[in-house]
Amino acid sequence: MATMNHVRLLCAVALFAGCVGSESTPGGKPGGTLAISIGGDPDVLIPSLVSTVQAAQMVDLVYDRLADIGDSLNVVGDAGFTPRLADSWTWSPDSLSIAFHINPRAKWHDGQPVRSSDVRFTLQSTRDSTLGTPVAALITNIDSVSTPDSATAVFWFHKRTPQQFYDATYQMPIMPEHIWKGIAPAAWRASEAAKHPIGSGQFRFVRWTPRTAVEVAADSANYRGAPKLARVVWSIAPDFPTALTRFLSGETDFFEVLRPENIPEVMKHPNLRVKTYRSLAYLFAQFNLRDPANHARPHPIFGNRELRRALTMATDRATIVRSVYDTLALPALGPTVRAYPTTDPNIRQIPFDLPRARLILDSLGWRVTRSDGTRSRNGRPLQFTLSVPSTSKVRIRLAVLIQEQLRQAGVKVDIEQLDFRVLVEKERKRAFDAAIGQWNTQPSPGSVRGSWGTPGSHASSGTNYGSYENPVFDAYVDSALASFDPGNARSYFTKAYETIVQDAPAIWLAEPRGIVGYNARVHLAPLRSDAWWAHIPDWWVAAGQNTP
Amino acid sequence: MLPYFARRLAQAAVIVAFVAAISFALIHLAPGDPFSAVMDNPNVSESVRQTLRAQYGLDKPLPEQFARYVGSLARGDLGWSFSHDRPVLDVLATALPNTLLLMGVALVGSFSLGILVALIQVARRGSATDHALSGVTLLLFSMPEFWFAILALLAFTYWLPIFPVGGSVDAVMHDYMGLGARIGDRLRHLTLPALTLTVLAAGGVARYQRAALLEVLPADYIRTARLKGLTEREILRRHALRNALLPTISLIGLSFPALLTGAFFIEKIFAWPGMGLAVVSAISSRDYPLVVGGVIIGSIMVTLGSLIADVLYAWADPRIRAH
Amino acid sequence: MPGQIQESALTRIPRPRESAFALGLRRILRAPSSRVALAILATIVLIGLLAPFIAPYDPAAQPDVVALKSLAPSLAHPFGTDPYSRDVLSRVIYGARLSLAIGLLSTLVSLTLGVAYGAIAGYAGGVADAFMMRVLDAFLAIPRLLLLLGILVAWPQLSIGALILFLGLTGWFGLSRIVRGQVLALKHAEFVTAAQALGASRRRILVRHLLPNLISPIVVAATVGVAHVIVLEAGLSYLGIGVPQPLASWGNIIQDGADQVAALWWMSLFPGLFMVLTVMTLNILGEALRDAHDRR
Repeated sequence: MATMNHVRLLCAVALFAGCVGSESTPGGKPGGTLAISIGGDPDVLIPSLVSTVQAAQMVDLVYDRLADIGDSLNVVGDAGFTPRLADSWTWSPDSLSIAFHINPRAKWHDGQPVRSSDVRFTLQSTRDSTLGTPVAALITNIDSVSTPDSATAVFWFHKRTPQQFYDATYQMPIMPEHIWKGIAPAAWRASEAAKHPIGSGQFRFVRWTPRTAVEVAADSANYRGAPKLARVVWSIAPDFPTALTRFLSGETDFFEVLRPENIPEVMKHPNLRVKTYRSLAYLFAQFNLRDPANHARPHPIFGNRELRRALTMATDRATIVRSVYDTLALPALGPTVRAYPTTDPNIRQIPFDLPRARLILDSLGWRVTRSDGTRSRNGRPLQFTLSVPSTSKVRIRLAVLIQEQLRQAGVKVDIEQLDFRVLVEKERKRAFDAAIGQWNTQPSPGSVRGSWGTPGSHASSGTNYGSYENPVFDAYVDSALASFDPGNARSYFTKAYETIVQDAPAIWLAEPRGIVGYNARVHLAPLRSDAWWAHIPDWWVAAGQNTP
Repeated sequence: MLPYFARRLAQAAVIVAFVAAISFALIHLAPGDPFSAVMDNPNVSESVRQTLRAQYGLDKPLPEQFARYVGSLARGDLGWSFSHDRPVLDVLATALPNTLLLMGVALVGSFSLGILVALIQVARRGSATDHALSGVTLLLFSMPEFWFAILALLAFTYWLPIFPVGGSVDAVMHDYMGLGARIGDRLRHLTLPALTLTVLAAGGVARYQRAALLEVLPADYIRTARLKGLTEREILRRHALRNALLPTISLIGLSFPALLTGAFFIEKIFAWPGMGLAVVSAISSRDYPLVVGGVIIGSIMVTLGSLIADVLYAWADPRIRAH
Repeated sequence: MPGQIQESALTRIPRPRESAFALGLRRILRAPSSRVALAILATIVLIGLLAPFIAPYDPAAQPDVVALKSLAPSLAHPFGTDPYSRDVLSRVIYGARLSLAIGLLSTLVSLTLGVAYGAIAGYAGGVADAFMMRVLDAFLAIPRLLLLLGILVAWPQLSIGALILFLGLTGWFGLSRIVRGQVLALKHAEFVTAAQALGASRRRILVRHLLPNLISPIVVAATVGVAHVIVLEAGLSYLGIGVPQPLASWGNIIQDGADQVAALWWMSLFPGLFMVLTVMTLNILGEALRDAHDRR
């Protein structure tokens, strides 16, 4: 009948169009689905508030920055940066302002054009104390954004610094003013808009089914062109083993947090591959320097610098790292990574010296009095709780190893496993004793100001959870960041790192390499150290795989 | 029958009321303010906090708080889950059908399988088959559920990749499948967890049923049937089974708690999005209201289960019906 | 003689403690399955008791976390080592000690509570009894694991003592029903009225008549109770809310190897086997005891 022939014809045309419309790439047509295995939901999909790696991936695909940092991660000036929402920019002669020209074709996913007022709004909200973003402490050099016209956003700076451009672009994916203006910042997290983010990126948000999946789809009308993938889906598993098994069984294509012990397993599958890259992450066991019960007082145990140094001395960090990571991590040097050109790998460390640690503890008055070997002083045992997220087996392993090593020194450590978000809450409220944390740092070594500097301690939204405050450290870091000469910057940073290492506000544990596993059907682009997902728009999977 | 049913229903209502009291005690058991995690959490909006304050009367004396609590329960309000950012009833209502599905399949499956095994054992009592099956049912009955589930998951999703690895649907593709494919997807995900729970529960049923059958067999009316010339199989089928099934009905009611507990572990290991997984995840999030909500719903399920079983028993047992 | 006649009239129903118990035990040990079960159970208990003497290594010691971690079973380490280079055999042995101790102690708590509650309810009778029974019904309606989760969500970290207490507090409901039933039956039994008429004190009645009838249900409840607690504690430890590090319990060891179940198979297999063996033997003995009692 007529209708049937009509339908058949349409199908044939569709097939034919599929064949003709693709790019000519080797090994199959792109346009497939990339399925990423993750072990937990994102925390929030608002760019300035993101604190989990999962959320960062999703936000970076849906939202755009004015310009993207180059793969070399250069943060001085604008060398290497590629245009995004801003298709060009002009420096003022005195370098106190940069005028960004917004790409006229840039549109939000709801069709509205991207305007300079969006840029100004983003800066203002990122600074809003009621919103409480962790980034606020890092952009203090930016004075304001002015909008001479709807296509030009001018950033004004307090002073010239090497990282002006980086500060203006890296820290702030641009958010749509017309959507967020009407909502009070304090209500942003719980708002409906947070559950359906509208951005300008090459992928548009599709859905977030809690505990099951997050999905974004290609924005074919994007000003930068359509990405090679049709969809990206994050398959959320309740825990690491399930997430890993989904990857191994082929249900998903990509797994980002492979551990060294999983590699032999992955290599057994002929169609799975492993790739390592230099990441910008470091792990540490952080002490709360303030009394959790009363923030005005120092912590009864960790308030004492000598005791913290003794605890560090009692820990054999090199062995712990070898045990947990095999060769895929180095002992951390301090709150930094070796990838920074300003990091000197020969920073003076506190050596592993158990006998000396015991002597120091004795001299501080902590004597071994109890039957189980735990020290005590004035009736108070040398005992504390070490909190770790229950989802991170790596940190649990580190905790158990530390527990046993400190037991040798007469310190009793109780390990507390918590849901990741609950742990972050505890840290924000400074209601913990010690915790094992990990920072995936930014390309700029200046991010240490937020996590270990005094401003990050005072602000309730700051990430200096241990409340380490040393003006000498702050001064060195600020001097380093203000130096245009790389040699000077490096020597200032070295002094800063040595100061904090000797103060021992944390036991610096490991600097792991990033390890990802992927299915051979995924064609990767180079993995950027700070964000392996940065070039996902250039990845592709042959069409037909997991495609609806 | 009806007065019996009414009496049992009233009993059940009283039990649920006491469960509510126990839950209230649980909420206030903890050191410190049980709601501080919600009140201080910036992710929670102000309207939610006000609702909580009003609902629980957090600054009022304890007896009044209890009255309010019972009142909200009666209205079906189980509190606010801050780890899910939704009302507790919402979270559990979405999750409960998955648990009921799992338990329902396991209930039917385990009783069918268990009774079948018991019949085989009794038909060949004293033989090697009987002893072997006894060993197997004892093993299953004594096995920790989570251990068995771990082994099952490993064996049938990894070593022999027959089934998908956990979840109730394919996270990537399910929304885009046609109706038939969607049903198939759900069935494929349901099979392994349901099978695991079934096999575990069948052990206990088989043991119970075997003992019940053996008790019934020496009875007078059985001897009469034998003298009448009926074959062993006919005796089993027509007389013994029917009478031995009577205590089995009460076993159905009694097996709800064990089935629910087993479902909790199965759900965790297979990532099956039921009430068990929700409650277990709520532990590490310290989400009190959700856990206590789970206690209440779970208890209601168990009470209803035993109520239905008792009523069925009363209906089936001619001795009671005669009254 | 008058005294003797009265004695024999009183002792018609319950038998003196000793011979009932001995009789039951002899009957149980007649079946070969029970003998084997008892032998296996006794061995495991002995292993637990002698743990400090027979465990080859300190269960918490991490001798070499680089070279000795995650080793498959070998002569030096028959059950292998865990990711912290701790010897799994030693941990399983100490696990027997801890798991059995937790099972025993918490069951003791349950028994005490169960007998006390049931006796009081049965003895008091009337409204008090009815009320106490309704409360009991409510507790019975809550699955034990659920009740424990409801308690454990309040306390982030439990000491072993607290864990034992809570396990005990949640396991006495079934037994108290039985005890109450016995007390009620006794209250109305003829010989009790007769005894009271003859001047026997309440305590004498309790001791000579009630207790013998309770021994059997208590022993059965204890056996089955310990089995339940062992499985329950293992489950809680598996969920991460049971026995804390660095202590070893069977469930704990399985949890340590839970994220690499295939690669570290020895961490799931051996503690699991011990657990299953212990629970099976307890179940066999419990059932034999129950049968012996019922056949009287």
